Amino acid sequence: MAAVIEVEGIVRDFGATRAVDQVSFGVEPGEVVGLLGPNGAGKTTTLRVLAGLLTPAAGRTRINGVDVQVEPLAARRQLGFLTASTGLYERLTGREMLQTFGRLQQLDEETLAARIAALTDELELQGFLDKRCGAMSSGQKQRINIARAVVHDPLAYVLDEPTATLDPLASRDILELVQRAQARNKAVLFSTHRMEEAEYLCTRLLFMRGGKVVARGTSAELLAQSGKQKLTDAFLHYAGGAA
Amino acid sequence: MRPAWRILLGKELLDVTRDRRTLVLTILLPVLLYPGMLLVMGAIISAGTQRLKNEPLTIAVVGPSTAALLARKPVPPKTTFEPKERAQAEALLRDQKLAAVVQAPADAEARLQAGQQVVVTVLYTKRFDRSVEALDRMRPMLESINNDALKVRLDARGLEAGFVQPVKGEPVDLEFQKDLGPLIASRLLPIILLTMLILGALYPAVDLTAGEKERGTLETLLVSGARPVDVMAAKYLTVSAVAVVTALANLLAMAATFGFGISLGPANMTFQLHPGQVLTMLACLVPAALLLAGISLTVASTARTFKEGQSLMSPVMLACLAPALLSQMPGVELNSLTALVPLLNVALLIKASVLGNATAPQVLLTMGSVLVFALIALKLAATAFNSEIFRFGGTEGWRALFGRSKSSSTQSDQR
Repeated sequence: MAAVIEVEGIVRDFGATRAVDQVSFGVEPGEVVGLLGPNGAGKTTTLRVLAGLLTPAAGRTRINGVDVQVEPLAARRQLGFLTASTGLYERLTGREMLQTFGRLQQLDEETLAARIAALTDELELQGFLDKRCGAMSSGQKQRINIARAVVHDPLAYVLDEPTATLDPLASRDILELVQRAQARNKAVLFSTHRMEEAEYLCTRLLFMRGGKVVARGTSAELLAQSGKQKLTDAFLHYAGGAA
Repeated sequence: MRPAWRILLGKELLDVTRDRRTLVLTILLPVLLYPGMLLVMGAIISAGTQRLKNEPLTIAVVGPSTAALLARKPVPPKTTFEPKERAQAEALLRDQKLAAVVQAPADAEARLQAGQQVVVTVLYTKRFDRSVEALDRMRPMLESINNDALKVRLDARGLEAGFVQPVKGEPVDLEFQKDLGPLIASRLLPIILLTMLILGALYPAVDLTAGEKERGTLETLLVSGARPVDVMAAKYLTVSAVAVVTALANLLAMAATFGFGISLGPANMTFQLHPGQVLTMLACLVPAALLLAGISLTVASTARTFKEGQSLMSPVMLACLAPALLSQMPGVELNSLTALVPLLNVALLIKASVLGNATAPQVLLTMGSVLVFALIALKLAATAFNSEIFRFGGTEGWRALFGRSKSSSTQSDQR
């Protein structure tokens, strides 16, 4: 099956520092690939290059066959991007947020209304959809943010440490989003520091360190390769560079 | 399908009109500020002047010759003369325990009789208003003594009063003899309108760039179906609109305030803005808003946080205000050279318009010049928004922005 998310040999420098060095991988429909690694490993830079927010010095990234660097808008129409830091416009209502971002993704009004209705049911937005985002609880904001990221029903989901600042209850919304996406045959790339999430959700894992992918495989394969019993120990093994 | 920039513009305008701080700055402040400020200022000045007139003042009189000279006329109302030694009187004046010190030469009476001049010294200080008021009370008294002595001398020689001053100049201000309104307005309007235009552009520019970065909404926008240039266009038009509305609200509020007329002490101050003047001012304020929007967005886009953006805006504000202040300097007038200097030309055109001096070529030259600079600022803003510095901020800042923007960013991005 052809990969929806394709990363081929990307390189990215910040001044004299090589942040990402020849990173390549793909994510197929229905797959949830976890991107793991310590701070400074190059995960966020990789995801930002993939979203077209940063330009690579070398290599290519494609979403559903569309080159992100050549046709960034077309590529982003296939991409739902969510991070822990992506914010909402506090003075807009949840509905206005979804309408704005749906229109930006070129959804016609009929399709947009249908998508908002579907997301309202799916994410239980009924009670606060017409409330201003600034007046919402953090859990409600999180759900609006998820709806915002997927309002255009993308094929690829890129989630950059989306649960980093969330409590377990709010994190559950994200985990359910990933599970639903997988069930709908979406390709999900999921960066996290939480090993239990990675083990629970991901079909494959990539360990990054120093800008390179140092290990890849299923959870069981990585445990076997590292000789560890738990994924956390495997993380420490790969993060520390121990043999 | 609507183009992305229009969707974003709708969003930005909806957002900004729900922002209380922006509404206060753009509409409420000018509506309340000018009537309040100018009327209260007028009332305070009138009350202050009246209070000084009624203030009991003590003036030191040095030496019996001074006392004798002053005794020729009644003591001014609310004034007490106290005999003092010169050194002691000076010390008391410095301590503000006296309002002024008057001293005539010891042989004052003899000099008067001999037909010579008597120089009367009035020591005062501008450090406190009571002293200036004391001088104001002494002036007419000494003038009156002078006139009496002069009359005696002229009568003795059978001469007319005109003999002493064969030619007397009497200035008559054709425009402002009776009403200082237009003059004061020509001084105030350029500074106030440009200040409010700058404030109207700077705050939303920082909020819509650095503020959005800090709140995480900018990344949300940039991964949506909008190009950076769409994001820039929407923000540019929003900032320009807020700046224009701010300037317009200030202009109208000031026109309304002047229209009622303000009394500042003895001087009348009334001023009516005619539609032609408003149009002339708008003709230069709208391009100026576009220019300021471009400048402020370019600068603010390099900041990572709202606070950092505000810090960056301080020198921008000073640099933009300097032309408004320069326009008030003597000899600086709107001509074919100054009409090419951005913002100075706007300030001078406002001044000329208020005074009724603005000509059509000057208006066109000013508009054209500001629009050219506005286009340059727009190009800079577009460059800034296309750079990674705008997306994530960066220590490489301006060099990266205008040079090698593609691979420039910060170590903080590396995660």
